[in-house]
Amino acid sequence: MATTTTIMPGGRPALTPKDFNSGLKPIWCPGCGDFGVLQGLYRALTAIGREPHEIAFISGIGCSSRIPGYTTVYGFNSVHGRALPIAQGVKLANPDLLVIVAGGDGDGFSIGGGHVAHAVRRNADITYIVMDNQVYGLTKGQLSPTSPKGLRTITSPLGSLEDPVNPLLYVLAYGAGFVAQSTPADMPGMTSILEEAIRYPGFAFVNIQSPCVTFGQEDQQLRAHKTRMKTLASLGHDPSSMSQALERARDYGTELYTGVFYRNPEPPLSHDRLIRLRQEELAKQARPRSQILDAYLQRGGAQ
Amino acid sequence: MTPVLKTRGLDLSRINLCDALDLAVLVEEEARDRYAEFADQLTLHHTPEAAGFFRWMSGIEERHRLELSERRRERFGTSPARVHLGMIFDVEAPEYDQARAFMSVREALHVALRSEQSAQAFFAAAKEAVTDPETRALFAELEAEEVLHQRLVRQQIEAAPPDPPGDPDDYSDPPVEQ
Repeated sequence: MATTTTIMPGGRPALTPKDFNSGLKPIWCPGCGDFGVLQGLYRALTAIGREPHEIAFISGIGCSSRIPGYTTVYGFNSVHGRALPIAQGVKLANPDLLVIVAGGDGDGFSIGGGHVAHAVRRNADITYIVMDNQVYGLTKGQLSPTSPKGLRTITSPLGSLEDPVNPLLYVLAYGAGFVAQSTPADMPGMTSILEEAIRYPGFAFVNIQSPCVTFGQEDQQLRAHKTRMKTLASLGHDPSSMSQALERARDYGTELYTGVFYRNPEPPLSHDRLIRLRQEELAKQARPRSQILDAYLQRGGAQ
Repeated sequence: MTPVLKTRGLDLSRINLCDALDLAVLVEEEARDRYAEFADQLTLHHTPEAAGFFRWMSGIEERHRLELSERRRERFGTSPARVHLGMIFDVEAPEYDQARAFMSVREALHVALRSEQSAQAFFAAAKEAVTDPETRALFAELEAEEVLHQRLVRQQIEAAPPDPPGDPDDYSDPPVEQ
């Protein structure tokens, strides 16, 4: 059987999207937006070029949080709302790993909402992908933190009285260096954004409007996205401008902008880089082992 | 508006005949895998008739892939390909939101028809983007094949049994207080 193999400059066969596919069959509802996100991730990871064993994928609980199991990278389908703390622990333990976090809007902005701020301000070098479907789909359609005001669900039969959380403003306000949004209705664009987010040296956030076909609203489905979505590039958006990012992020829920809202043009050192620098600094100050007893005695250690 | 050429990192104006054949193989490969995925999804979600149709379509796309692979091998041997699967998106593969639990065979046939139309549009646009005459001829040939496939699918749609009454969405429960 004839096969096509892409060869990398070094002569090593290139990775293909199939290298990241575990072969486990997703149990999402047919038509779910998460299928597209998974396919986009396979392709983004292929473009990144890191081997599966160099990547860790951490998730919380929910439909979208099943995603690590469908990949060949190290995966941890962890605890509801706690994916970010676990991912930061993974990154601290092994800074060489490329760490990706995924989950839903409920996992990230309700149950795990308190963790987001700290992951952002710590500037952990991880990519956080939220598959935002504005509803708790796995538990059959309850109101979620990003559900639109007025939405009727089984927990809001008369319509929600609450304004939704704005995930984009949330992370921008805490100082995230990379903030983007996309939809599987634009597969090439979404894949490029995922790749750019993963490559960003610091905390990167991607909000993907990934519709729930079973409990989601008609105007949130992919066919509606195709008519509603506007690329930020087509609006002349400058991703290095925080003020423009904040202004356009305010339209979450009314407009569907896709692209990079904000990319810090001068990314500060990430948390793991700072730790490495501190470790190197401390190592320089450390006395030779032969002098440790003298130092101890000088400080009155034998009293 | 979804663009016809859903590609990434692919400059069609710079591809040669070998690249075009490799691209055609990848288009069939993507479609084969997507139909197989749909078949798996619908089997899991209690929709065996449409699942069976998608499984059959997967086999058809594999047959096309093998034919094109053989053509590529005969002409260019096993030289490394310059194009890869990460460059194309949903050319002949139906988009993920096309699958639905409890969809009928007739609806599944319409999914296949839209996919053949999508592939035709892709090859038509690709034909205009390339400069090499031989490559352009290949894309024209592939475009014509997609038109033929559409005719075959339309014949099947005409022969398919009518949809059962009722909307599958009616099976879901309306919001009730817990």
